[in-house]
Amino acid sequence: MSTQQGGFAGLDRTLRNTFGWYAVSKKEFKDAIRSKGLGLLGVIFTILFVSPVAAALYLDFGAGTGQQAQAIQQQGMQFLLSNLYTNTVTLLVPIVAIFVGFAAISKERTSGSLKLLLSLPYSRRDVLIGKVVGRSAVLGVPLLASLGMTALFLVLSEVTFKPELFGLFTLFSVLFAIVFTAITVSISAAFSKSIWSAAASFIVYFYFTFVWNGSVNTIGQLLQQELGVTGAGSWHTVLLLKLLNPNQAYKTLTNSMLNTGDTPELSARLSMFSRNADQQTICTDVLNGAWTTNTVQIGGQTAQVPTCAGGGTSVPFYYSDPVVLVAMVAWIGIAAAVSYYTFDQVDL
Amino acid sequence: MTAIELDGLRKEFADVVALDGVDLTVDEGEVFGFLGPNGAGKSTTINILLDFVRPTAGSAKVLGRDAQERSAEIGERIGVLPEGYDIYERLSAREHLEFVVESKDADDDPGALLERVGLEDAIDRRAGGYSKGMKQRLALAMALVGEPDLLILDEPTTGLDPNGAREMREVIREESDRGATVFFSSHILSQVESVCDTVGILQDGQLIAKDSVEGLRDAQGDMTMVVTVGETGGIDAALDEIRALQSVSDVDLDTDEVTIGCERDAKMAVLNAFEDNGIPVEDFETQEASLEDLFSSYTEQEVQA
Repeated sequence: MSTQQGGFAGLDRTLRNTFGWYAVSKKEFKDAIRSKGLGLLGVIFTILFVSPVAAALYLDFGAGTGQQAQAIQQQGMQFLLSNLYTNTVTLLVPIVAIFVGFAAISKERTSGSLKLLLSLPYSRRDVLIGKVVGRSAVLGVPLLASLGMTALFLVLSEVTFKPELFGLFTLFSVLFAIVFTAITVSISAAFSKSIWSAAASFIVYFYFTFVWNGSVNTIGQLLQQELGVTGAGSWHTVLLLKLLNPNQAYKTLTNSMLNTGDTPELSARLSMFSRNADQQTICTDVLNGAWTTNTVQIGGQTAQVPTCAGGGTSVPFYYSDPVVLVAMVAWIGIAAAVSYYTFDQVDL
Repeated sequence: MTAIELDGLRKEFADVVALDGVDLTVDEGEVFGFLGPNGAGKSTTINILLDFVRPTAGSAKVLGRDAQERSAEIGERIGVLPEGYDIYERLSAREHLEFVVESKDADDDPGALLERVGLEDAIDRRAGGYSKGMKQRLALAMALVGEPDLLILDEPTTGLDPNGAREMREVIREESDRGATVFFSSHILSQVESVCDTVGILQDGQLIAKDSVEGLRDAQGDMTMVVTVGETGGIDAALDEIRALQSVSDVDLDTDEVTIGCERDAKMAVLNAFEDNGIPVEDFETQEASLEDLFSSYTEQEVQA
């Protein structure tokens, strides 16, 4: 027991001596975790994630050996992740991140506690990083706890639990949560009043979630119709812009993870385009795929359906999952850096 | 080494000049009282020392380091009680102090620190429920962590009752005896007088005087006496005698009230003059020169010199 504590204390000291922001993030976590709203947060997460599984468990959904039951057992996990949890995360987590982070710095600035903090041996950079880390933990810990609870329920249910899928989903979701926390905390540092910070965060959330994708499609159309940029060039632009949105990046990452075909990355990226996009060009010239036709049976009739199969090579590396993941996580640094630039200049 | 060095410090906000070229040196080990009416620029000066606010021109050095470039490093060796601060309402006094101890890599015992400021009973209570005076005590305890070389206290007695203010002065003396430099601001003269070695007076963004406390007392000299007399018959003789006193500058009669502008030590001579001329004194009160009067007496001196 005592050696255990010594280990923790030792680690604590090492972190403290290594990172200027460490004590700030620890204080931040201690302080914020006591807010009543955060207990509520854990409860909301748990209800949203666990209740579908718990309901399935209660209804004995997927029990037995019938064909339908087997399908549920085999595909239930993918179904939950792709149809339910991914949407829950993309819609809800940013809102919760705003709730957790919008006042992180602006409130301390208004109340004056920032003065006590900055009179200690901390630079403004330490405060910003400490706040991002601390508030990320405040959101990440209840999220992880509720996902852990969900895993437990999944194991107990008839649905086959696929730890590697759930592990990756958890990783992507927690990183996504941290990205939005970093963005809101960074926004919070740029405003002296929390109300403005909250408004700005909601605008960013709204833009990422509901506007970005459509405006990128419009940019693609403009490129083609007004500026005469045709072919692969315009589609490259559209895809790159789409992937810059952390929301889209998160979705296509989980999508790629859930795809069972030979070319999960290719299918995931391809599905990011709207229906009227030039699928053939995108398939062959943007994603290195091969445009072929599949023979499918539809209602007793045979039909030739064009489809995108894997080409000889995988998708260009800058569209691969690791790069998309890095792009998503890069938002943490981008937001913090932009924010630091303004926060460092301002009179408090 | 000097503890604080301001050189041509100037700060303009959108529509006002808060500091207009302040030069000031505070030596190590000094207890320095930074005086001035509200709005004179005291807090702006302190905010620049702490790098909350960036100067428009000039420079500020704290413990030999540039206040802007090396604020985190300066933070290791100073203790601060800022103006307009707030504490973390969900953390207890102990947790506040543990955080500061950790931040400064010190090893102070939170209990002992709180005992020094008289807050030991509330050590494990969440600070959200503290009164203004308790918050002030907690903030002072936080400033004392790690035996800082320099204490910067902005209006430290705000929110304290007279007893609390006395304890605050005691702490300042203890810290000074330990060898720390203390720099504190105030708009209340009596607080500055009893603990300071040196006093600086700031007015309208300019340092109009820097002097020892004795020098300040001499300059303070003037006071106003208001004497209520029971009988005005034959008072002229008394008034003439009072006017003749060297330390009296101004005498004014209004029905039964005589207002006399004089130096502090003239009080007995004035009262004797009434008595000698058979004028009964029913009541008298003295008004000390206010800080504003003091400022004006300093500015007048500056002009004369």
